[in-house]
Amino acid sequence: MAILIILVALAGAALITVLATDRRLIEGATLLAAVMALVEAVIVSQTVAALGSYDALTFFSVDSLGALLLLIIACISLATVAYSIPYLRTETAKNIISYKQVQHYYLLLNLFMMAMFLAVSSSSPIFTWISIEATTLATAFLISFYNKPTATEAAWKYLIINSIGLLLGFFGTLLYFTSIEANLTSGFISWQGLAIAATHLDPVIARIAFIFVLVGYGTKVGLAPMHTWLPDAHSKAPVPISALLSGVLLNVALMAVLRFKLITDLVIGPDFTGHLFLLFGGVSILFAALIIFTQKNYKRLLAYSSVENMGIILLGFGLGGLGALAAVFHMMYHAFIKSALFLASGTIFLNYSSTKIANVKGVLTAIPITGGLFLAGFFAITGAPPVGIFLTKLSILAIGIKTYPVSTVLVLLLMAVLFIGFLKHTSAMMFGEKPTQLVATKESVWLILPPLALLVIVLYLGFWLPPFLQILINNVAVQY
Amino acid sequence: MSIFVLQVLLGIMFLTIISLHLIETNFGTVIAYVIQSVIITLLLLNSFFETNNFSLLIVVLLTLIVKVILATVFFTGLIKRLSLNFSVSNYLSMPLTLIVIAVITLLAHSNYLSALTNIIPAQHSLLALSLAAIFMAMFLIVNRKDALFQAIGVLSLENGIVAFAIFAGLEQSPVLQIGIIFDILIWLVIATVFIRMIYQHFGSLDTSLMKHLKD
Repeated sequence: MAILIILVALAGAALITVLATDRRLIEGATLLAAVMALVEAVIVSQTVAALGSYDALTFFSVDSLGALLLLIIACISLATVAYSIPYLRTETAKNIISYKQVQHYYLLLNLFMMAMFLAVSSSSPIFTWISIEATTLATAFLISFYNKPTATEAAWKYLIINSIGLLLGFFGTLLYFTSIEANLTSGFISWQGLAIAATHLDPVIARIAFIFVLVGYGTKVGLAPMHTWLPDAHSKAPVPISALLSGVLLNVALMAVLRFKLITDLVIGPDFTGHLFLLFGGVSILFAALIIFTQKNYKRLLAYSSVENMGIILLGFGLGGLGALAAVFHMMYHAFIKSALFLASGTIFLNYSSTKIANVKGVLTAIPITGGLFLAGFFAITGAPPVGIFLTKLSILAIGIKTYPVSTVLVLLLMAVLFIGFLKHTSAMMFGEKPTQLVATKESVWLILPPLALLVIVLYLGFWLPPFLQILINNVAVQY
Repeated sequence: MSIFVLQVLLGIMFLTIISLHLIETNFGTVIAYVIQSVIITLLLLNSFFETNNFSLLIVVLLTLIVKVILATVFFTGLIKRLSLNFSVSNYLSMPLTLIVIAVITLLAHSNYLSALTNIIPAQHSLLALSLAAIFMAMFLIVNRKDALFQAIGVLSLENGIVAFAIFAGLEQSPVLQIGIIFDILIWLVIATVFIRMIYQHFGSLDTSLMKHLKD
């Protein structure tokens, strides 16, 4: 019932955006739907922590990983919606967007959130695929939202690359169905059914299927070398959408990969998938490190940081054991911090009217609170103590160095390069004289609160985890 | 249907994907895709006759409506409205394109992928041809510069996967198949709108001109 409430609330909000002519009604409906989604996500998560899973109708089933992602989606969606309201109002006031565009924005945002909730609560791999494909379709127009040639270019690239990736993922998914007896294939195949039937899967097909799934869904995760759409899409989408894309959507796609990893491991053991994870994780960090210094756009900078962090998460899951535990924490922390960083970058954009690093100087002087948030987010995402990412990175490296000392040292060096590169750009933006033509405006509390709340949550979770969340995280780490 | 008829149908579908690499008219591209989709519809109809599963008939009808009728309406409407002329071709030269096509076909029929083509040993040749169609569609998307061809390449890739799934006996439940067709419909609409936007912004469908995202 709780899942249905989330979906109905978001569908209702989407309907209101189509029918309503009052902006406040659209904003209110979307905000209410996001609040309801968060409340219901907490209820579902607590049920999963207590009972192990949450099942509704035939189509919905939430395990610990699904519950954790439900919470992440719900929290970040609420922050995004709360931020979108003042952000879009400012853009409307500046005549950057029209009322019609605002209507489209909230319609697509609601559909996007709905698709993500569906993806993580779906009981079937095909239903998950349909939902993840739906996220691509919902977000394509959000990426081209500003209707500029570059935005259209980014959206087309996003649409084509992700569609190819997801079709490959679909092909890989179908290959897993060869384990199901022929007379059952016309029926509904669940994740659970697939795991039970895994013993009948040909090991060679399991390997090939997993490669297709990893490359396919990995494209959506933003893993290098299939990541090329990610910096373009994240830099061209409206800032709140970039926060959702980077903080949440990448994890939703990763969930699909992890579920197939689990099934593949049942057939051929964890070495094959683990090594592939390490390879793609390492390559993603390498690509991000190679490009970080030459970045000229701070939104692209954040996007490349996501490529790096998804790589780190993959390394953790690839190493397994405590590495997987660190990866789960990293996934959670990264989602919150990256979203906060994107939201803070939105306020920078509203003030400086540019996403180019060269045009943004003296943020700490011009908009000190937002500057402080961005700086705090930077230190958090790069792993400065006491934020949890420091511990997760350290744990993954500590586990990695036992088995792969040379590669781990290399990864450590790449992380150092990424830190220096990120620091160079961040300090260039934060310090120095603000542009003379920049008129300092009072920072809106409504633009500050959402990213601040996300950072506070991360800091808080670094010291204390609610018991149900602890159970979910442990379950995910043990399972994957 | 007998294996021979199925082989002929799949052969035609395979040829349409090869023709997509060679065709130099926009209408020709749409016709090639529609022929492919008609064949997919016939293959699904065959599954319906074999299983007598009534809901499969709905899938057949929806496939016909979305992939044959609506795709034709959307794409031809787009070509007429924008008065699109074929303007760009491949990244690789034609001889190289043909060599890659030959290599891909050989690879799909090779022992390296026999695990996939022997999922149902009796359907080996059909599965190999479907696999070749999948690879060929992927190559089409990366080799063609034209946005319309890229969109049709994605749809052809989906057709290739559906053909493979049918011959490997991996058809999903009709409810989910309907969900997939719905996704394809939305994709079709979105791709059509984007192709129009690309034309409006760049004055051409040449995606190699879209290089403004470096900063």
